[in-house]
Amino acid sequence: MSVYLIPVFFLFVFIYAAIKRVKPYDAFTDGVKGAIPFSFSIFPYLASIFVLMELFEESGLSSLLCDFLSPVFGFLGIPKELTKLVLIKPFSGSGALATLSDIYAEYGADGYIARCASVIYGSSETVFYIAAVYFAGSKTKNLFKPIAISLFASFLSCVFACFICRIM
Amino acid sequence: MNLIFGVILTVSTVTLIFVEPDGVLTSFLNGTEKALALSSQMTVIYAVWLGILNVFEKTGLTEKTAKLLKPVNRFLFGPLPEKANDFMSLNIAANILGMSGATTPMGIKSVKELEKHPNTEYALCMFFVINATSIQLIPSSVLALRIRCGAVNPSDIIFPTILATLLSTVLGILLVKIFMKKRGDKCRFI
Repeated sequence: MSVYLIPVFFLFVFIYAAIKRVKPYDAFTDGVKGAIPFSFSIFPYLASIFVLMELFEESGLSSLLCDFLSPVFGFLGIPKELTKLVLIKPFSGSGALATLSDIYAEYGADGYIARCASVIYGSSETVFYIAAVYFAGSKTKNLFKPIAISLFASFLSCVFACFICRIM
Repeated sequence: MNLIFGVILTVSTVTLIFVEPDGVLTSFLNGTEKALALSSQMTVIYAVWLGILNVFEKTGLTEKTAKLLKPVNRFLFGPLPEKANDFMSLNIAANILGMSGATTPMGIKSVKELEKHPNTEYALCMFFVINATSIQLIPSSVLALRIRCGAVNPSDIIFPTILATLLSTVLGILLVKIFMKKRGDKCRFI
């Protein structure tokens, strides 16, 4: 089903444009124009976040933090194998996807661990990445509360995800 | 952000100096390289979606979408400036439909537009939380990966995922409604 969504949407837009006598070539080109300045404005913020992650990982602090938090997560019902995934997801989508693929390779794609991992990956978002990108160069500097709220909500949904995988 | 950045940067660098001194510069370079790779990937995605969305906009469909989502927006954000409302509606529609390529450019435009107006801090925070806990109806990348890894029943995670993502979004919205006042509250550092 979902494979048809985007092509049908594109088709609809172009047919509707024809009906409304919008020049598709001009309009499309005009829109694309905005893409490069967009990426330019975001790049410095991405660079900072990625440098931070790289340092954190490379210095061994991330595995230290994982070891430290595993028992806490375990208490809440999140298997200790998934601590790294839960921690990395708010920062990096690609990092989380790599972790997910490691989990499948190690524990199989069908077990309880793999199912929990899938639900956690699918239900949470890259909070810090979104904060950096959406508010790149913006005046709103104090995002403490919204970030805290998002992280807390995502974390609870991870706990919930593990719970629901256990009963379903 | 400055605080988090500063602390992690210092602690990691100190640790690396003891463990592996030449790792410091390498980490900086690798991080920036990954950011550049992601940026170029994103440029392609933005280009396609900004193109399509501009055609969409020119046909007047944006106003129609905004009209359709007006009650939702009013409930979530309160009264909004018209242009911001348009962009935000597109962002929310794209979120619901899972067109992730379209959410980011519309999200950034919404934030820029909202910031031009006074007293929009509440709407900004709510908007951020909705995007940061966004509803994802079909976790397509997870499905693809599970199929590749030979899962017997790869789609058995769809329903739990929808439940979990719904929970995080609802919880996020509720928390914003509880902890932030509609006017004047500046998402301040507590």
